[in-house]
Amino acid sequence: MTAVLETQDLTKRYGRKTALSDCTLSLPAGKVVGLVGPNGAGKSTLLQLACGLLTPTSGTITVLGDRPAGGPVQMARVGFVAQDTPTYQNLSVADHLRLGAHLNRSWDAALAARRITQVGLDPAQRAGRLSGGQRAQLALTLAVAKHPDLLILDEPVASLDPLARREFLQALMEFTAEQGATVVVSSHLVTDLERVCDYLVVLAAAHVQLAGEVDDLLASHHRLTGGRRDPATLPGGWQVIEDRHTDRQSTVVVRSTAPIDDPSWTVEPLGLEDLVLAYMTGGGVPAGRPGMVEAGR
Amino acid sequence: MIWLTWRQFRVQAWVTVAALVVLATTLAVTGPELRDLYRASGLATCTTDCGTVLDGFRNQVTASAAGPVFWATAGVMFLLPAVIGIFWGAPLVARELEAGTHRLVWTQSVPRTRWLAVKVAAIGTVAILTAAACGAAVTWWAQPIDDASQNRLLPEMFAIRGIVPIAYAAFAFVVGVLLGMVIRRTVPAMAATLIVVAVVQIALPFFVRPHLTTPVRVDAVLAAEQITGIGIEPDGAMQVASKLTAPGAWELSNETYTAAGTRFTGPADRTKCGPAASYRICREWLNSLGLRQQASYVPADRFWPLQWREAALMFGVTGLLTGFTVWWLRRRIT
Repeated sequence: MTAVLETQDLTKRYGRKTALSDCTLSLPAGKVVGLVGPNGAGKSTLLQLACGLLTPTSGTITVLGDRPAGGPVQMARVGFVAQDTPTYQNLSVADHLRLGAHLNRSWDAALAARRITQVGLDPAQRAGRLSGGQRAQLALTLAVAKHPDLLILDEPVASLDPLARREFLQALMEFTAEQGATVVVSSHLVTDLERVCDYLVVLAAAHVQLAGEVDDLLASHHRLTGGRRDPATLPGGWQVIEDRHTDRQSTVVVRSTAPIDDPSWTVEPLGLEDLVLAYMTGGGVPAGRPGMVEAGR
Repeated sequence: MIWLTWRQFRVQAWVTVAALVVLATTLAVTGPELRDLYRASGLATCTTDCGTVLDGFRNQVTASAAGPVFWATAGVMFLLPAVIGIFWGAPLVARELEAGTHRLVWTQSVPRTRWLAVKVAAIGTVAILTAAACGAAVTWWAQPIDDASQNRLLPEMFAIRGIVPIAYAAFAFVVGVLLGMVIRRTVPAMAATLIVVAVVQIALPFFVRPHLTTPVRVDAVLAAEQITGIGIEPDGAMQVASKLTAPGAWELSNETYTAAGTRFTGPADRTKCGPAASYRICREWLNSLGLRQQASYVPADRFWPLQWREAALMFGVTGLLTGFTVWWLRRRIT
C-alpha cells in the first residue's frame, strides 16, 4: 500500500496560534479518507497544506511523492474543493468550465459537461446566483474534471441543507467509483462521512488523535460496562480512551486488538460516531502519541 | 491564463476603450481650432512685444473650447496613474483573497506565480499602452499652448507630458497589486494606493527630480529688466525677486546678492523706494547697486533627457516592486 499523503512532524502556526502541531500521518492510496474534528481543530489547515495553498511552519508534507503545488504536473494530479466552495460571482457556470479547460491540461470537457447537465445547472447562470448546493456541485465538477489522482474536499457539505448534502455525497461517491482516485474529505460531523469513507483521521486541538481503517477501528474499540473499579487495574493491553464512573458502575471505552473475554464486563460494539466522540471529548489519549498513528499504517 | 485574465478584465477594458474614444474625439475636434488660433496669433513669428501677443493668444484659448479641454486633459493625465493603480492594480489579488477565489484558481494546474506573472504582464501592458496613448494624444494636442507657455519643465507640467506618464502608470499599477496583496482587502488597498501614488507624484518633483540632472548655476549681474518684484518691509528690509534669462527653464533656486557677495536684504533708500517714489526709480536705484543674481536652474533643452531619466528611474522602481510582489506571493501568502 503506497501513501498518497505523508506528513512528518507537520506544524503550522499563524502568529502565536498553533493550528496544527507535530502531525505525522500516512494516508493510503485508493481510499476515501474522512478527516473529522471539531471546528478549529486544524482540518482546513492540514488540507490547505496538502494542496499547497499554505506552507508548513516546520515539518514536511509530501503529496503523491512531491512537494504540494510543486509544479504544474503535481498540481494537475490534485483536485481541491475549498471550504465554502468559492466561485467567481460574476462568471457563469460555462465560464467556470472554460476556466477549468484553460487552466488544466488534463481537463475532461465531456465529463464536466455531463456532470453539469446531470446536476441540472444552467451553463448561462452566473455563479453568484447559484444556491449553496449548486455552487458546491460546480466546485466539485471543476475539481473532478481534471482527473486528479487525489481529490481533497474541505468541509464541502458544511453549509448545505440535508438534501443538497445527500446529493453532493452521492456525486462524490460516483466519482470515486468511476475513477478510483484517493479522496480526502473533511467534516466536523462524522455522520456526513460515515457512509462514504473507509479510512478515518480524527483531528482535535491541532493534533492527530486517531488514524486508521474504519473497519479496523470499529473492530478494535469496545465500550465496557461493569461494576465500579479503578482504571489503573485494567489489563495492560487495553488502551483506555474514555472512562466514566458512578458510585456503583464504570463505563470505559477501550482499544484492544485482542478480544475482551472478561465476563465481569458487558461488552458493546461502538458506532463510528461514538468512537470519534470518545476521542474528541474524552481526550484520554495524549496527543501525538506515536502508537495512535502507527495503527493507521 | 490569457483567457481568464481577459475574462476578468474585459469590463475595465471596454470602459477604458470608451474613455479613450471620448478623449480622442475631444482632442481631434478641438485640436485644429487650437492650431488655427496659434497661427492667427502670430506667436511663432513674433519678434517684438511678444508678451502682448502671448497674452492675446492665452485669452483666445481661454475663451475657446480649448480652454476647458486643456484643464480637463491636465486632470486626466494627473489622475491616470492613480486610477490605474486603484481600479486595475489594487483589486487584482485583493479581490481574490477577499472572496476566497484564490483557493479555487491557485489549485488548478497553474502555479500561482505564473498566474500572477500573466496577469501583471497583460494588464500592466494595457496600462502602459493606455498611458502612452493618452500621453501622446495630450502632448500632441497641447503643443501650441506648451510652445507659447514654455513651461514643460515646470513640476506641474513635466509629469503630464512626454513619456513620464507611462512610467507613472506602470508604477501605480504595481503599487496597487502589491498593496492589494499585502492588505488583502480591496477598498483599503485602493485607498492606500491612492495615498502612495499621490505622495510620490507630489514629492518626486521636489526631492528626486532635481537630482536627476546637474543644474546650471548662474552668478551674474542682475539686469533691471530681470526684476519681477520688489518687497519693502516697514523697517526698510527688502526682497528682490527676479526672473532667469533662460526662457522655459525650471528654476531651482534664485537669490539676490549684493556686489560684496552677501545676501541682499536692503535697507531701502526711502527717497528712491517708498510711497513717494515710483517703481521705475526704485528699479533704477537697485540697478545702481550692482546686485547679482545667484541661481540654479534646469534649462529647457533638458526636457527630453530628464524625461528619459525619470521614466527609467520609475520603471526601475516598478521592476523592484514587481520582484517584491512575486516574493510576497510565494513566501507570505501562506
